[in-house]
Amino acid sequence: MAPLSLEPARPVALRLAFAPDRASARAVSVKIRSFLAEQGVPEKELFSYELCIAEASNNAVEYADGDCRHLKPIAEVLFTPSQIELRVTDHTAGFVLPECIASPSPMTDRGRGLFLIQSVMDEVRYLRGTTENTLVMRKKRSSVRTQTVAYDQLPVTALSLGDCQRQLAESRAQVEGMKGELLLRSETLSSVFRCCAELGRIDKTSEGFEPRLLIDLLHLTSADWYVLRMLSPDGRKLLVAAASESDLPSTPIELPAAGDKSTSIEVKVAESQKPARFDIRECSDLSEPLRAVGPAGAGLVCPLCFGGKLVGTIAVGRRGGDFPLGRLQDEVIRTFAEFLAIQTLNLNRQKMEVRDLVIERELEIAQNIQHLLLPRTLPQLPGFGLAGGWQSAREVGGDFYDAIALGNQSLLLMIADVMGKGVPAALFATTMRGLLRGLAARSSDPSQLLSSLNRLLYTELSSVAMFITAQIVFVDLKNHRLTAASAGHCPLLFVPPRSRSVSIMPIQGLPLGVLPETDYPHMTARIGSPARLLLYTDGLTDTRNAAGHAYGQRRLRTWLRVNAIPGRNATELRDRLATELNRFRGDVPMVDDQAFLILTEEHAGVRPPSPTGGRQIRLQRGSFLFPISA
Amino acid sequence: MKIESKGECLSISEIQELTAANSARFRDEVQFALSGSPSVVEINLSQTRFMDSSGLGALFALYRATAKRHGVVLRLLNPTSEIQQLLELTQMQQLFEIVRR
Repeated sequence: MAPLSLEPARPVALRLAFAPDRASARAVSVKIRSFLAEQGVPEKELFSYELCIAEASNNAVEYADGDCRHLKPIAEVLFTPSQIELRVTDHTAGFVLPECIASPSPMTDRGRGLFLIQSVMDEVRYLRGTTENTLVMRKKRSSVRTQTVAYDQLPVTALSLGDCQRQLAESRAQVEGMKGELLLRSETLSSVFRCCAELGRIDKTSEGFEPRLLIDLLHLTSADWYVLRMLSPDGRKLLVAAASESDLPSTPIELPAAGDKSTSIEVKVAESQKPARFDIRECSDLSEPLRAVGPAGAGLVCPLCFGGKLVGTIAVGRRGGDFPLGRLQDEVIRTFAEFLAIQTLNLNRQKMEVRDLVIERELEIAQNIQHLLLPRTLPQLPGFGLAGGWQSAREVGGDFYDAIALGNQSLLLMIADVMGKGVPAALFATTMRGLLRGLAARSSDPSQLLSSLNRLLYTELSSVAMFITAQIVFVDLKNHRLTAASAGHCPLLFVPPRSRSVSIMPIQGLPLGVLPETDYPHMTARIGSPARLLLYTDGLTDTRNAAGHAYGQRRLRTWLRVNAIPGRNATELRDRLATELNRFRGDVPMVDDQAFLILTEEHAGVRPPSPTGGRQIRLQRGSFLFPISA
Repeated sequence: MKIESKGECLSISEIQELTAANSARFRDEVQFALSGSPSVVEINLSQTRFMDSSGLGALFALYRATAKRHGVVLRLLNPTSEIQQLLELTQMQQLFEIVRR
């Protein structure tokens, strides 16, 4: 038994849309006959194919009704060495195709067309759809049929064996016919996988998309050219990412503003997110970019979109409109476009995730810097308590404080607010804290210290248009006196002994970084005994409640007067103030950082360390950080 | 298409094709020529390269028109092998006298 030919079946296709009239239907059947003749189909077979296309095309014209009378039917032929498949797509109401149509009586005037098709073709199917129907007609090629005959001619010992042989031959021929389509689909699939692997490897978006993959698409669809456009980052243009040849369009196309009418084929496809066929010969717009493919160019433009999100367009076609892409090629291009859109979106998503991770890491670094900014422990001097509170509105804030013990009898306190947030603010705060600690070894004069800090930080601060408000207070614990200077910071508050009011030290001074050389006046005051002192940033007084009211300095003074009673230590006061601020704010999110330092004189002596040992215990947005229990 | 009347014989020839696109015209013109009451109608199909079911329908219309007149001979001359097969497949060869000469 001679094996059937396994000649590779490379399909050749022709697709013709025709005007819905009899003359056009006739012209189509003539064209298809010529096409098949060009493929080498013997003259004696051509009549059958021409007849079937003619019958099907006539029916598509005759039975179209209503608005469908204006829609163009489509005639297609898919040629493989083993089989010829004819298809005619109509826009009629359709009909039920019987399994077998009996020979009509010669005395009747109807029913001959379908009977002839079924008699001539090996397989006829009518695929009914909602808007169109397709009559599929298949016929095995004569070479295959010859081999079928060869099987028949084999010596047979029984009829059943002969039947089996015939069936086997027919099955093989059918398999042969299906092979062409399977080969195409298999190539498509492997190309898509290759595309997937390629896209997964590159770290660029479609700009790095390998032309090789698009050339695969040309090969699969027997197309001549492609133009791949990607949506610009601002979503306003379609930029050419790749084109098969240099003479194809390369300039971006502007997407029209809302309400404006678009004319370009690719823009229309991008806007509608629906594929569209085109034929340059039917296009009257002289500015159409796809005219570059040639005066008779035709093809398909597909949107690259997934889940309603557009990323670009792809146009694929042939330079000659007489041989437009077939339905199978359309399907391949659509699949490819959808796949490319998904991959591009995934790639973009991956990049965004990486960017988010980088931002998150930066914040983490800045937060670590912030942790370092706040003193892990505050100085503990006999008879005095010092406690600080800090709460940031975001991951990283610019408020901080510090306290330096100058021997056993005096303290240098500083509180500051760096304008801005994030890593730059945290870095300036770190620098300032380091500078202060260095300068404090040589001077304890708040005015001098602020002037020096301003001089040292001015260049860097002004270059990034930032400034810092700060207050430095020298506290002479032995004589119960303080000297303070301010660089545009909130006035410090203290409660004089035996007083029912709170004193304010409204010291003037420009923030650091405003002018290169600035003098900072100081004020001196006797704070009496027991000393009760509060340094704070404007985040406290600017705290707002649900009604939009600010906490304000008046409430803060009242709170200090009521709460800073003799015998209540700094840690307790800090807790109470933190609770008070949170109570006032309620569920309203913080809009600014908060930092404060409380100094109290505790006649009972130094309190025992807190259960946390005075170390940072937590740092969370919306919760106070209490680094020390004095 | 050429239509000639030679005595009792109506001769129709030079038909390139008989399809949905031209069968209506064929019917009309032949019907008109039948008004001369020929006893023989000869349709020369030797040059007819293609015919579809509409063309067959036109031939059937001619058969019906002449069937009313007793004694009229309908003759198809020299159809190509493809058209001969078409006529046989649809059993329409029963309606005509097919002659090769």
